Amino acid sequence: MATNPTRREFLRDAAVAAGGAALAGALPAATASAQGAKAPEAKIGAQLMGKLEGPELVLDAAKWPKKFAEAPMLAEMVKAGKLPPVEKRVPDEPMVVKPLQSIGRYGGTWRRGFTGPGDGENGNRIVSTDKILFWDYTGTKVMPCVAKEWKQSDDGKSVTISLRKGMKWSDGTPFTANDFVFWYEEVYLNKDLVPTAHPDFMANGKSGLIRKVDDTTVVFEFQDPNFLFVDILAGSTAIGGGQATQAQAGRGMGAYMPAHYIKQFLPKFSSKEEAEKKAKAAGFDGWVSYIRNRWDWAMNPELPVLTPWKTVNPINTPTWVLERNPYYMGVDTAGNQLPYIDRISMTLAENLEVLNLRAVAGQYDLQERHTALAKLPVFLENRVKVGYDVRLDPALNGSDATLQTNQAYEADPEIAKWLHTTDFRRALSMGIDRDQLNETFWVGVGTAGSVAPSESVPYSPGPEWRKKWSTLDVKQANALLDKIGLGKKDGEGYRLRTDGKGRLRLELQTSAGAFVPHTQIAEMIKEQWKKIGVQADVKEMERSLFFTRVASNEHQIALWANDGSEVLFLFPRHALPLDPVQALLGTPIARWFASNGAQGKGPKDPRLISALEMYRSANGKKTQERYKVAQEIWKILVDEQYSIGTVGLSPATMGVRIVSNKLGNIPARQTNAQHARTPCSSHPATFFYKA
Amino acid sequence: MLAYLARRLILALLTTWAVSVLAYVVIQLPPGDYITSYIAQMSASGSFVSLQEAETLRQQYGLDKPIWVQYMRWMGMVMQGNFGMALEWHRPVSEVIGDRLWLTMAVSGAAILLTWLVALPIGIYSAVRQYSVGDYVATFIGFIGLAVPSFMLALVLMYLGFTLFDMNIGGLFSDEMALAPWSWAKAWDLIKHLPLPAVILGLAGTAQLIRIMRANLLDELRKPYVVTARARGLSEWHVILKYPVRVALNPFASTVGYLLPYVVSGSIIVSLVLSLPTVGPLLLRALVAQDMFLAGTIVLLLGVMTVIGTLISDLLLMWIDPRIRLEGRK
Repeated sequence: MATNPTRREFLRDAAVAAGGAALAGALPAATASAQGAKAPEAKIGAQLMGKLEGPELVLDAAKWPKKFAEAPMLAEMVKAGKLPPVEKRVPDEPMVVKPLQSIGRYGGTWRRGFTGPGDGENGNRIVSTDKILFWDYTGTKVMPCVAKEWKQSDDGKSVTISLRKGMKWSDGTPFTANDFVFWYEEVYLNKDLVPTAHPDFMANGKSGLIRKVDDTTVVFEFQDPNFLFVDILAGSTAIGGGQATQAQAGRGMGAYMPAHYIKQFLPKFSSKEEAEKKAKAAGFDGWVSYIRNRWDWAMNPELPVLTPWKTVNPINTPTWVLERNPYYMGVDTAGNQLPYIDRISMTLAENLEVLNLRAVAGQYDLQERHTALAKLPVFLENRVKVGYDVRLDPALNGSDATLQTNQAYEADPEIAKWLHTTDFRRALSMGIDRDQLNETFWVGVGTAGSVAPSESVPYSPGPEWRKKWSTLDVKQANALLDKIGLGKKDGEGYRLRTDGKGRLRLELQTSAGAFVPHTQIAEMIKEQWKKIGVQADVKEMERSLFFTRVASNEHQIALWANDGSEVLFLFPRHALPLDPVQALLGTPIARWFASNGAQGKGPKDPRLISALEMYRSANGKKTQERYKVAQEIWKILVDEQYSIGTVGLSPATMGVRIVSNKLGNIPARQTNAQHARTPCSSHPATFFYKA
Repeated sequence: MLAYLARRLILALLTTWAVSVLAYVVIQLPPGDYITSYIAQMSASGSFVSLQEAETLRQQYGLDKPIWVQYMRWMGMVMQGNFGMALEWHRPVSEVIGDRLWLTMAVSGAAILLTWLVALPIGIYSAVRQYSVGDYVATFIGFIGLAVPSFMLALVLMYLGFTLFDMNIGGLFSDEMALAPWSWAKAWDLIKHLPLPAVILGLAGTAQLIRIMRANLLDELRKPYVVTARARGLSEWHVILKYPVRVALNPFASTVGYLLPYVVSGSIIVSLVLSLPTVGPLLLRALVAQDMFLAGTIVLLLGVMTVIGTLISDLLLMWIDPRIRLEGRK
């Protein structure tokens, strides 16, 4: 890279950051002024963030290659008569990918680190091209994937997809519409396997259905308009997320399954005794847990898949190994069957420090997961010696550390009253010095602001909403607090409760082990709030306890990232309280919303109610109208400050990429988002080892 | 003697049962269950679980039943030699632990061996040559070994190993060997990786052992029977090794009880830092994930090992030390 910063330049930045951290507890004012005095040079982060780029699909069938080539390891098997020739394996209508830089070479093992059986996403995100539809590398335009084409009916009540002719499962069996119908009838409608309908496959609370037209044509139908459904098929959702990701770890979603293989584990196709016997013989307590294990691509090497690589050594061992799928549907523009890389080998790291140190030592060829932003100095120091490059991929979500105020809080009426007061929340937000947080915990590479997503996202309400109520203004904050009746202070300058029970104390609940250090961030905010006379108590807890307290409505303010909220309708959980599994703005509200008012307790705040109603109306709206709805919702969320954003649009989550110099076709920058299945939108099947 | 043994055995069984109940209760004490921690883990890693999925999983794992029902179910299985499925690993608990047990024993065994080989001679030397230069040096190093936290030492050594010698970071095998079936080449690979963890794990123990050995031996050396032996004209080393050292070894026999569980679990923190595939990190993980089958089984295993170890050390002491034997008879 021509723009390598010198080590001294970097160390200076790092020293400022480290100094900020060290002094934060004692002298927040001093560090703030030190940072203010810093020369406004190009930041290290800007130099490590390249141009957004990626491979593109060739959609014009006239330009598709007519002759195909294959990897040497497969050519040998063809020679030995163990595999049919490549022309018979690649679909008649393949997915043609134009690699980012050049046609690659076959071979090599991609070394990575993973953290154990719970880290399935580590591999899922590499092989996600088994999704029905996908996004282009920018993460904004829907592209074909497993489906060659799609068509939405004018009334929005159905989407028809066409499959690729001649496409096959990894064992050579044809992949057809029957695999969709099988999943719908035998898995999705089977109450033992999927007890209740999934919201991703519903419109207006009513479940959809799947119908076969012919072997390569499938229709998804709904009773009410569902214009969102194309996005759902392309998003990281239960219905469009692909077999690998969605039929995993107990889930049975994904919209299709290899019928010819899965049938043998279903009682319907043998008998209940037979299925139970099989399960018991394999050491499982029943057929349900056995079949769930059998359709999990990371656990079961025998499972037929559509992904570029398939598991050969399962995830619940110290080394998770994937090997190329000889029937993968993708080819490059010269007709070489993808992927270029033979094998992916992920070694278990018992803790993140070891994983990061191994990345520094060059023991991984490409790693963007679990690599910590705080380790950037060490990564940069060793990159020349070890032979790798560091690239930062900023995310699109507004805030990696969001203060979520509980809008259903009741336990302490005085605190509840303030948390439910707009001006109080605005004052808290204006009392935060986001630039100091950014320098200290994001090495200056994040962007300070509200919870609103990046302007590059069509849902964005506009740049001014990144700033609204979200810049440091101690004077106005104090004025607001005085105005709402919190004017009385104690001897130390802290504001007093109005019920005479002493000092007003807010509880900031944080969880250990987040991608950015939420507890330390909360501690710094606590120091900053001294200037507006608000006392905060930071309470760190283990992750499960954190969520248990949220679920039982005990938290006042909880810190969490708002990742995924950039695609509001596909993943609303971190923006609005509507999913009881994780409702940081108030579990009772989410229960009320999810049950249509039958359970839980609705909010009193009319603007929150209107935001929730607008959200509910979105499925039935066409794309452009839907964008408008999202923008209106974001305006309410920022204006009301239910969630107080701090620093976001940063590479802190899965955006610190360590890339070996040996690899080719690696984008300078890639879209970092859940719906883009980063790094899958860069088509890892086109990555290769140069000579 | 037999009656004594039988009584001890029955007590041991009862203790083991109490350990199993306690283990189960303690693991269930934190709020939430495996599914809560699973949801938390998923959302922290950029994935998610729906409410329906969570409920299905809860039913599948029987987590919706009261705790005593879950315990009885587990105990029923344990009685039949089935320790259940490790929830996070989706494999039988016995397999998950079995994979790591031998490696754990290799690492802990190497550490213990190293500790004894280094500590006993130095301990004897610094007692016999009390206040000599050698004694001071050994004491100095010993205290440093005691004072430096071993996980810190592990991190420093690992970083130095990488920057100075280009060594692999952590683990017990090189990348190529990790997946290979057992062979001499793989065993040699393991032996090559053992010294670093063995030194780190052994260091604190070594320092402690040197101090104990030195103190015990100093006590013994001043006793009249040593003077008598010298007066009888026995060679100096014969005098020391034959009698006082044997008596000074007495406390070691009584620590066998703690050694056995250590051998099967290893040190949790150091194993975690060095990314050793041993039982220690597995236990920590299982506790965090609230995987009560896996955590329960490991804790039960540790309990059984402690009970057996204590039994062995009681018997050993009786055998070595006539004074204890005589009290037993009264």
